[in-house]
Amino acid sequence: MTWSSFLNFSTMGHRHLVFVYFGVWIIQGGYLAWLAWSWNHTKTPRR
Amino acid sequence: MEQRTHSLRGIAWLWLGIAIAVLVVGFRQAIFLTPAEATMGDLYRIFYYHLPHAILGLIFPYVNLAASLAFLFWRRRDPLKALTADALAVAAAEVTVLYVGICLATGMLWGKPAWGIWWAWDARLTSELLLWLLYVSYLLLRRYSPSGQAGTLGAVLSVFAAIDVPIVYMSIQWWRTQHPAPVFGPNGGGIDRQFWPPVLWNIVGWLLWGVLIMLFRFALERRRQLAEQEAALQAIEASLEIPQ
Amino acid sequence: MNYLRHVLDHLRKDLRLEWRSRDSINGMLFFALLVVVVFGLAFDPTGYPTTTRQIAGGVLWVALLFASITALNLSWARELRNQVLEAQRMAPSPASALFVGKALANMLFVLVVEAVLAPIFIIFFNLHVLGNAWLLVLILPLGTWALVVNGTFFAALGLRARNRELLLPLLLLPISLPALLAMVQGTTGILTADLDSIQIKTWIEQLAGYDIVFTTICILLFETVLNAE
Repeated sequence: MTWSSFLNFSTMGHRHLVFVYFGVWIIQGGYLAWLAWSWNHTKTPRR
Repeated sequence: MEQRTHSLRGIAWLWLGIAIAVLVVGFRQAIFLTPAEATMGDLYRIFYYHLPHAILGLIFPYVNLAASLAFLFWRRRDPLKALTADALAVAAAEVTVLYVGICLATGMLWGKPAWGIWWAWDARLTSELLLWLLYVSYLLLRRYSPSGQAGTLGAVLSVFAAIDVPIVYMSIQWWRTQHPAPVFGPNGGGIDRQFWPPVLWNIVGWLLWGVLIMLFRFALERRRQLAEQEAALQAIEASLEIPQ
Repeated sequence: MNYLRHVLDHLRKDLRLEWRSRDSINGMLFFALLVVVVFGLAFDPTGYPTTTRQIAGGVLWVALLFASITALNLSWARELRNQVLEAQRMAPSPASALFVGKALANMLFVLVVEAVLAPIFIIFFNLHVLGNAWLLVLILPLGTWALVVNGTFFAALGLRARNRELLLPLLLLPISLPALLAMVQGTTGILTADLDSIQIKTWIEQLAGYDIVFTTICILLFETVLNAE
């Protein structure tokens, strides 16, 4: 495949392929981002 | 102590870099380098993300079970070790919900165009859904329990879940051999050798990623626990300073 | 013998408390009746006897499941008033005796509801059992015990939790799935006579196995839950 054939939205199959790849990146990246945000908003323990 | 956190931080960033690099290679292999499949065309490439999440989604629950058992064992014997085990249990549970949820969602998105149905109540899918529901309920139980009890109650539920999932699988498997129903996903038949590279790259990539976020979540939980202990200590010290 | 005496004491206590207020049983009865009426409105039982027989098993267990959930939450609420739970923890009797006594009491309440519900089902759905009706006498208690034993345990698990009423169905339904499958399939198989006796026997055996496994786990882990603080 190429980028242009990957980012093709013509059939349900193609659409779902794009949804899966982008969706997984967004969900996993989102979880990591949420962890990073929580890390920065937790007080550093003194010791 | 400073030195140790500094080097741990360095390792974490390095790990993240390697995980992302492996995932990029995996993506390239999956989309650009392997040819389209005979029956499904390009749609089958969903498999390269679905399979790693499915496999890893079955490993993290066992990490949670081991941590929960360790928690129950150390609860009365060594409370500090128990606290660490509890932090690992929560981290593993959240990553389980994440991976199993993605496995279910990608499976459904694959199933509809490929086989015409979003879902089937066969043994594998029902057990997978059940696993997800059980760990969601685990996280909700922990959130709604009064503090101090969350670890114990969660650990008990973890034991129930570990026993229940195989039972569900076996009972529905038996039921479906009596009344066959559509079975989702690839069954039987191996994967042709030319398709192995993206499978392997993606499994390794998502494994590295999964371990990283689990340990990150574990560190976050430990940080919260230590901050809580700090706050409790300060409260006690403050109360001691009040003149009698 | 001592253990049995403790269990009977707890059982007697729960039965007496329930008899005085009767809110659990009334709540369960009306809920189950409501479910039957709504389903009776949803499809026409008299016009489609075959479909009715196929659905009635599932409807029965749904009604019982939701009715039990309302009662299970109430059963532990009794222990929260007047710090009774602390007294129970300090009592020398084994914690699991409290659990078994309470589970048996809940079992009796749900069986009473079932005894009332069965004729109502037959009347409202014009049910004519095609298979061996005596097997239902085996499946109903086994299935009920599966729901009650896990339900009593998980109601105790969520006892001090903020969203107690939400937690119980959330925890109970996934765990009970194998039992639900067996009881619904077994009941439907008997009503429709679609399953032969060997298959029904296997469902009953699975249900019994489930009951034994989970009763054991609940008894072993109850002490941990009671002393969770």
